Amino acid sequence: MTADSVVLRLDNVVKEFPGSPPVRALDGVDLSIGAGEMTALIGPSGSGKSTLMNVIGTLDRPTSGEVRIDGVPTVTLSDAQLAGLRAARIGFVFQQFHLLEGATVLDNVASGLLYRGQGRAKRRAAATRALDSVGLSHRLHYRPPQLSGGERQRVAIARAIVGEPAIVLADEPTGNLDTGTSESIIGLMEELNVAGTTLLVITHDQDVAGGCRRQVTIRDGRLVSDTASEPRRLTEVGAAL
Amino acid sequence: MTGSGYKSAWRSRLTAPDVVGVGLYGIRGRRGRAILTAIGISIGIAAIVAVFGISSSSKADLLAQIDALGTNLLVVTAGDTLGGDDSKIPVAAPDMARRISPVRSASAVAMLDTEVQRNKYDESPNGLDVYASESNLLETLEGTMTTGRFLDEETSTLPTVVLGSVAAQRLGITGLADLPTVYIGDQEFAVVGILDPLTLHPDLDRSVLIGEAATTTYLGADLYPTRVYVRTTPEHVDAVRSVLGRTVNPGAPNEVEVTRPSDALAARAQVDEGLQNLLLGLGGVALLVGGVGVANVMVISVIERRQEIGLRRAIGATRRHIGVQFLIESVTLTTLGGLIGAGLGSLITYVYAQQQGWTIVVPVTILGAAIAAALTMGAVAGLYPAVRASRMDPAEAVRPST
Repeated sequence: MTADSVVLRLDNVVKEFPGSPPVRALDGVDLSIGAGEMTALIGPSGSGKSTLMNVIGTLDRPTSGEVRIDGVPTVTLSDAQLAGLRAARIGFVFQQFHLLEGATVLDNVASGLLYRGQGRAKRRAAATRALDSVGLSHRLHYRPPQLSGGERQRVAIARAIVGEPAIVLADEPTGNLDTGTSESIIGLMEELNVAGTTLLVITHDQDVAGGCRRQVTIRDGRLVSDTASEPRRLTEVGAAL
Repeated sequence: MTGSGYKSAWRSRLTAPDVVGVGLYGIRGRRGRAILTAIGISIGIAAIVAVFGISSSSKADLLAQIDALGTNLLVVTAGDTLGGDDSKIPVAAPDMARRISPVRSASAVAMLDTEVQRNKYDESPNGLDVYASESNLLETLEGTMTTGRFLDEETSTLPTVVLGSVAAQRLGITGLADLPTVYIGDQEFAVVGILDPLTLHPDLDRSVLIGEAATTTYLGADLYPTRVYVRTTPEHVDAVRSVLGRTVNPGAPNEVEVTRPSDALAARAQVDEGLQNLLLGLGGVALLVGGVGVANVMVISVIERRQEIGLRRAIGATRRHIGVQFLIESVTLTTLGGLIGAGLGSLITYVYAQQQGWTIVVPVTILGAAIAAALTMGAVAGLYPAVRASRMDPAEAVRPST
């Protein structure tokens, strides 16, 4: 793995929340993710998964340590610069989708490019392509309340990839979905990974984690294991059922 | 640039049309709430616009009346002597006044110490006065006749009278067809004309006018002018006014008073200021309450839309973008209220002025000021919610709701 291909690098990241005594949610995390990887971050609730996700996504700052996105050290960046970094280099997928209920599917996906200062026509053209890649070309003018849970998460994934970010962070992407739909979402993420998207999937679900070649386990704010294995492809999962 | 390797191309940017589009997003999704929120502002603005509109229309109407009547008429009346007795205007006063070059015409009337009755035997009081009048009085006052004609060279010497509008009514005379007569003292006088009401001279409406020569002949009274009406060219009213006293009574200029009747009418335009201020105050309170309502709704909106704020921060919005979004939303709400209010206020003015038969005047400056006030109110009301939204911790905002 060359330095150029590392899209995410954490060096001794510590995150403490104030209190007495202070709560140490992340306790010296080192992590490196290369371009094109699909990594699962696994851990029970309260293990520090969400805190790590927020720190990696630059939504929260570490108490100490360094977070580099695409080679850029982030701790010295201003709030506005971090926003710009997120707009350009990070895609987010949330458990609760976080779609704009009042906007169409097309505009929801186009909003992934909103804060990059591009014109609307350009954003919509890119959004149309992204929706095509998640199999929702037929839903462009629907609004989120008219969609199923799986479709909503596909819209959210399309929004995350529309700007071709360095990394997509998916926080419990199947947490609100039934098993069958979950599998199709994992399958979609695998497809996107094969097509070149780097993904970090935060989950407590072993089935979801099983879809990822690399699995990182966090417990009590520390990474306790980091294993690489041949991922169980969706087809195999389907066959096992 | 802080942080080596940060690409300026990554700067978070929002195009101007998107700033507006994002600002309107919250309103588009909650139209009913937006309208209800705007109503408070509308009521305040409508009240203010209507108060100004109605008072402007009323003023415009009075000024139109004054214009029609002319502001170039002066009246000389007898004042008090230094000793406090009633003074007298010299008999030559009208002639003296006519010698002032900008004076177009001047006419004197002299009140007579007598009463007028419909017949010889009636002695009931009727509140009517009897004046000896020069034959050019109608011309000086620019009055008009309801029927008949005014006193002229001929009728001024004969036992004839002209009735003011109220006098005719009180004496029960509506026309000249049955050759009506009235009694002044024991002398019977033929009625030759009835005057239209004289807006600026209600005292003459209640009077009966006799020619000067006839007064001497039939009533044998001395004629000292009670009032001299002086019509000047419009440009020289003030100049004439300043010299009129000295001219008509050079011996004792302090003993005559010079007034301009249209001034009283003009003063009426200012009368309702107290009520106007009260209504404006109420409008201001409504506006303030409306503003507080908007602030309230915006604060609730910020709390409700936590996840939207989190999402926007995640996809690259800066704090400033979030703050501006909510500020635009607030300003849009109040401006909407301002526009509705301005329309409503204009409508109220229109309906009221229509009923009163006035010309409708809604000053553009008031409409502009009202909308500007609504806009400012929105900026003020939206400031706190906008700051609150912009300071929301993004990690906290994207947290799943439970």
